[in-house]
Amino acid sequence: MPLRDLYLLSPEISIVGVAFIIIMLDLWIERKGLLPILTIVLLGLPLGFTISLWGTEEQAFDGVLVVDTFSIFFKVLLIGVVTAVVIASQETAARFRRFQGEYYGLLLMATAGLMLMAATRELITIYLSLELSTLSAIALVAFFKDTRSTESGLKYLVLSGVSSAIMLYGMAMVLGVTGTSSLVEIAKAAPVSSLADNPALLLGVVFIVAGFGFKIASFPFQMWVPDVYQGAPTPVTAYLSVASKAAGFAVLLRVFYLAFGDFSSDWSMLFGVLAVISMSLGNFAAIFQTDIKRLLAYSTIAHAGYILIGLAAVASRVPGGEAFGPQGVLFYLTAYAFTNLGAFFVVIAIANKIGSETIDDFAGMSKRSPLLAGLLALCLVSLIGVPPAVGFWAKLYLFNAAVQADMVWLAIAGAINTAISAFYYLRVIKVMYLSPAPTEERVRLTPPIGLAVAMTTTGVLFFGIAPWFLLDFAIRATSGFPG
Amino acid sequence: MIELEYVLFLSAVLFSLGLFGVLARRNAVMILLAIELMLNAVNINLVAFTVYLSPDLLVGIIFAIFIITVAAAELALALAIVLRLYRTRSSVNVDEVNLMRW
Amino acid sequence: MHVGTGASIAFWIMAVVAVVSASGVILLKDIFRAALLLVVSFLSIAGIFVTLNADFIAAVQVLIYAGAISILLIFAILLTRDVQEGNPSNRLKIPGMFMGAVLLTALIVVFVNTEWRLSTEAPLDSTTAALADLLFSNKFVLAFEIASVLLLAAMIGAVVLARGEDE
Repeated sequence: MPLRDLYLLSPEISIVGVAFIIIMLDLWIERKGLLPILTIVLLGLPLGFTISLWGTEEQAFDGVLVVDTFSIFFKVLLIGVVTAVVIASQETAARFRRFQGEYYGLLLMATAGLMLMAATRELITIYLSLELSTLSAIALVAFFKDTRSTESGLKYLVLSGVSSAIMLYGMAMVLGVTGTSSLVEIAKAAPVSSLADNPALLLGVVFIVAGFGFKIASFPFQMWVPDVYQGAPTPVTAYLSVASKAAGFAVLLRVFYLAFGDFSSDWSMLFGVLAVISMSLGNFAAIFQTDIKRLLAYSTIAHAGYILIGLAAVASRVPGGEAFGPQGVLFYLTAYAFTNLGAFFVVIAIANKIGSETIDDFAGMSKRSPLLAGLLALCLVSLIGVPPAVGFWAKLYLFNAAVQADMVWLAIAGAINTAISAFYYLRVIKVMYLSPAPTEERVRLTPPIGLAVAMTTTGVLFFGIAPWFLLDFAIRATSGFPG
Repeated sequence: MIELEYVLFLSAVLFSLGLFGVLARRNAVMILLAIELMLNAVNINLVAFTVYLSPDLLVGIIFAIFIITVAAAELALALAIVLRLYRTRSSVNVDEVNLMRW
Repeated sequence: MHVGTGASIAFWIMAVVAVVSASGVILLKDIFRAALLLVVSFLSIAGIFVTLNADFIAAVQVLIYAGAISILLIFAILLTRDVQEGNPSNRLKIPGMFMGAVLLTALIVVFVNTEWRLSTEAPLDSTTAALADLLFSNKFVLAFEIASVLLLAAMIGAVVLARGEDE
């Protein structure tokens, strides 16, 4: 193992190292409040390594690990997300008397798995990184140890087990047909020019898509989402909704563009159909929700659908030119990370004070805390996709990619769904602003969660007003995209 | 001589049985057993592909070894969760769990 | 493939045992017996690996699946004492059966209609040494390291979840 390979792996090594340090320090530190602060400070290490690698285009471990702008984009995003989640976790984590170090440690290990997912080009390594993040996430979901949280953990475990088994069956098919597990070699070894000519390869592709559907929370493995999101500790929910979706899409982009790039006309339609089903399903179910976390859970299914448009719009890629689809996906994932984290953090801030996550209990929030109500409204508006929030540009780029790819029907389906989604997002805003408040008691923002809210909502506004900063990065991250 | 197809049929039967078990059982432990069956079906596939199609590469067998590793780790976690659930609810039947819809 | 008739017969016997015991796992009312049948199924699959000349994975199958994993499952069953309640099936029994049948048909159709590029090379006599070389080669060492972190994460998670707040 040459030293250079270790350097290329340094973001992942250091984040796992930080996890070890935090778990060990938990044994000695009496004031547990120091743990999250130490975690955040130490997270500077993996972030520094990642940023120092920006610009390199190298491979390590015989091409298994690839360090390119694409993977670094995702690593920076994931480290940012986990930092925000750690900041927002303080009050939640203070509720467990023990195992606070393990809580932060597992969050970091899950992130290490997700970072590796975005950076590997080999099926076995992809599977192991995926399971590393999933197993850590299962423990985090069940971390409250009350009935609801444990049930969520069990449900997450069972459904991740089933989806993994299906994905593995698909990977086994691909491995069988091509004789290799490396994505680059799969592309070279695929024996046919169309998936329809090789049923086993077709089956493999379909099963792999189904398996990854679990990670990105899209149809056909979306049924775990509402219950797990509702039962899990809210910071963990926020983390899952954003980080695991981002890494899932990173793998999907890599696997399908790199290994199955020749069959893009076959799978683009598959993703298009899945996109429409996911967004319609999520949006219709979200209308009937009374719990804010369940509402955001169904909304995350819908958003997985919107992002799948970017995968379906593969034909928008001009050879040698810009890849609108992948660009849109990266932009949307980042915008969604800011927006959804912001929404969840405000919900945490409010729920920690009023002790309820029911939408009706948010009544009159504009009087009880004008700031929090305003910021939640901003995030919800961004989720709908209305300017000046960043969500507007995200949707615009993706729908544009669909149009560029001659899939106007997909853009229309997305627009109709956006209109439907406005209904339930606006209902929350209406409850907050127009319903009378049950009490006059103020809801105050405490510093740590306030910092997390400030970080994310600033991002929503800043990139909403100046989207080109983010778009520039998304373009550069996909410039070397396999074509 | 055994044809490759027969080995694959065996794995298909085990995989489908596993899927049926996952859908039809309601005891959480039984669902875990069914998932193990599905993983075993995958392993049979991987080993068969390696032996029949690329005996010199052995990638499939490496894959199978890692799948077994992950399955063991996952079950350790599953045991912890099932025990915790039993302690709080005295039942591990997934549809008696009625705080949330299954 | 050069497999003797003996191996061929052994394969069919073990395939039948595997399928019958797997059906038992899924259909039996008694959870404890179902778990024991699962061990039989694991062992017969190990036997199938032997007939396929995959000696190392066969040993791993016996040690980890038939040994460790089965013990864990039986622990889970005995500690939760749902044995008396039997193994009721839920309302998804009929759709589940239907989906299982559809999946099985689809898989068989796929397997029959695919042209497999059979290798002419004889399988290795002993895969263990070659596997060790490959597992620690530059290509798979990363996967190996991730697996070690994964085991640690699962262990931490299991310890955290299994221990109560006040113990």
